[in-house]
Amino acid sequence: MDWSFIGHYAPFFVTGALMTLTISVFGIALAIVVGAVCAAIETARIPVLRQIVRVYVEISRNTPLLVQLYFLYFGLPKLGFVWSAEACAIIGLAFLGGSYMAEAMRAGVEAVPVVQRENAVMLGFSRLQTVVHVVVPQAASTALPGIVANVIFLIKESSVVSAIALADVMYMTKDLIGMYYSTYESLFLLIVTYLIILLPISIVGSWLERKFNYERL
Amino acid sequence: MTEQQFRGLEVRDLVKKYPKAERNVFDGISFDVPKGQVLVIVGPSGSGKSTLLRTVAGLEPIQGGTIALDGDVLETGKPGTEKAGRSKRPSALRTRIGMVFQSYDLFPNKTVLGNITMAPVLVQKRKKADVEAEAMALLERVGLADRADAKPHELSGGQRQRVAICRALILHPEVLLLDEITAALDPEMVREVLDVVLDLADDGQTMLIVTHEMQFARAVADRIVMIEDGRIVERSTDPDEFFAHPKTERAREFLHTFEFERRRKHEDGEPIREFEDVD
Repeated sequence: MDWSFIGHYAPFFVTGALMTLTISVFGIALAIVVGAVCAAIETARIPVLRQIVRVYVEISRNTPLLVQLYFLYFGLPKLGFVWSAEACAIIGLAFLGGSYMAEAMRAGVEAVPVVQRENAVMLGFSRLQTVVHVVVPQAASTALPGIVANVIFLIKESSVVSAIALADVMYMTKDLIGMYYSTYESLFLLIVTYLIILLPISIVGSWLERKFNYERL
Repeated sequence: MTEQQFRGLEVRDLVKKYPKAERNVFDGISFDVPKGQVLVIVGPSGSGKSTLLRTVAGLEPIQGGTIALDGDVLETGKPGTEKAGRSKRPSALRTRIGMVFQSYDLFPNKTVLGNITMAPVLVQKRKKADVEAEAMALLERVGLADRADAKPHELSGGQRQRVAICRALILHPEVLLLDEITAALDPEMVREVLDVVLDLADDGQTMLIVTHEMQFARAVADRIVMIEDGRIVERSTDPDEFFAHPKTERAREFLHTFEFERRRKHEDGEPIREFEDVD
């Protein structure tokens, strides 16, 4: 292991990490919005929209992110839609993450006991009050571990964006290995970078899960 | 001829069907709970006791008959509503009836006090300070004033059920429905909950109670109705008489299931029926 190489090229990984984070933050934020909308449509059993959501979820979960990105980046321009690589990466991550988030949130809503809603009805709550004050807080508590796991999964999955020439940490690594054959050093930097990004998220996630687990003893 | 306005809950010719069911759950059942009285419904599992309470509460649609409170019709049955969800009873009418369920589910993200004050503040827009003072008085009454800031998961089942009663009471329901509220509790917690209910009965709270606790039913009831297969088998305005000398064979059989005896045998196989002194 060449430590001077690591010292010299570490700043490359800071730049790459910023790209990874930018794509991830926007992609995941969008995925959470898409997931919430889809989960709402499914749990409210809205006809037609509900079937559309099912089709979306199945396509999204059963195709690789790489293929989704190729479709957005190379396929859509043929149909006249031209996007920047960044936009493709963010939309791709949101497209994949949306279905995972939707499933986690739907499971959360479905785990709220029926009697909780019936209590709300008997106390005179309107439908909106029931959703806001009874269903969502309890569903969020159940869905949170799944949502945190999805966030971590999507940040890791963002490494695929290097395939459409976005300079994230994965791209930097492949570049350095290609130029200097510095396989060990580059992979070491790559792993350390991912750990620096993901460990704090994992720790904060666990803390949130404990804080919002109302049934804990 | 002027008729005196009936005060209390009136259920008339209630018809209830489930989708695709061969016969009706209720085929025209009628009963009254006069204001200030307690009606206890007993009967075997699956007889429709809980369903009856749920229709009165408006949680299940009815296909015939009426449910009225102090002469105001809360619900009129309409055929073809088997698959409909909850009835469209307006919130103001809904809160005239309170309900406590078997599963002692409080809102887990709220404190004990938060659980009780939520509905009056959100729904009735009452002042928070007034509501909290009243909630504390209720908690005092059920012996839980010191647990006002506790979270539900820190309470025992019996304590949660007493909080659930306070949560229903703070809306001043004219009728309180109790659906087997001690059935999911450990035996030693049943008493603390039922004592609260007895106290409410003494205070003139109109109640419609489904329970399997026969001793309690006898103590708390002003009226008893026994139902089976959605039909009223026997009704009585004298609970002591009903439990001691039920008129129908079916009620006798049912009440007998709550009595136990062992048939000990002598070595020669003869059963012992009485205590015998052994030297």
